[in-house]
Amino acid sequence: MINGKKIRCQDVMQHICENLGTELNSSKCKEIKEHLEACPNCQNYYKSVEITIDCYRKYNVELPPDAHERLIDFLGLED
Amino acid sequence: MEETELIEKAKSGDKKALSEIVKRYEQTIYNFSFKICRDKNKAEQIMQETFYSMVKSLHQFDHNSKLSTWLYRIVSNHCLMMARKLKSRPFVSIDDDDSLFEEKFTADWSSLPYKNTENEELKRILDKAIQKLAPEYRMVFLLRDVEGLSTEEAAQVTDISIAALKSRLHRARAFLRKEINEALNK
Repeated sequence: MINGKKIRCQDVMQHICENLGTELNSSKCKEIKEHLEACPNCQNYYKSVEITIDCYRKYNVELPPDAHERLIDFLGLED
Repeated sequence: MEETELIEKAKSGDKKALSEIVKRYEQTIYNFSFKICRDKNKAEQIMQETFYSMVKSLHQFDHNSKLSTWLYRIVSNHCLMMARKLKSRPFVSIDDDDSLFEEKFTADWSSLPYKNTENEELKRILDKAIQKLAPEYRMVFLLRDVEGLSTEEAAQVTDISIAALKSRLHRARAFLRKEINEALNK
């Protein structure tokens, strides 16, 4: 219960985004966890937030060729 | 050479030590700049300005934070300055929790080729989604979730309270997830 009301999926989704990766130990968190275990919709939501972060983590770019030399020149340094 | 020793040598004007610091962090700084501005030319310009600022102000570095955290702070400021200079289109407002968490449909996320990091369609979806976010939100999401800084470090870099950081972070996560969900449904 949040403020005397039954937990809705929307509350759980918000909680997931606020607390991703942290332990769910408070009484509110325990209720969220119970809802999550029984609700495929919220489980999918949780998974999709994790995938979102993972996608951005994996999307990297390499320093272009010669960019290091241009940088060293720009700074007036030598290798 | 240990980083502390390298920094002290660089502070005393040792150009080789400065070059070594540049070499250690240029890839990280370039990658982070790109992730904020999503443009390779601008990312290189921001990287150059970041290291120029580093060279000029390294004498002020007091070892109270990691050098990487200090550099993230400099690069973040340059990214924000660039964004303000370009005055791009207005960003989407993400202050309304109800619309952020309103779920009209759930796409089939298994169709997202997220394990293939070179997929151009996926890159297009990710670029489009994050470019709608104001740079202040982008920054928090990238520092905390993508670069892996702690909450305290990310708050220090962006110069906001931990509460403000957490609030921006949860909205950024929800917004990006929602945008990808909608793109997958098209």
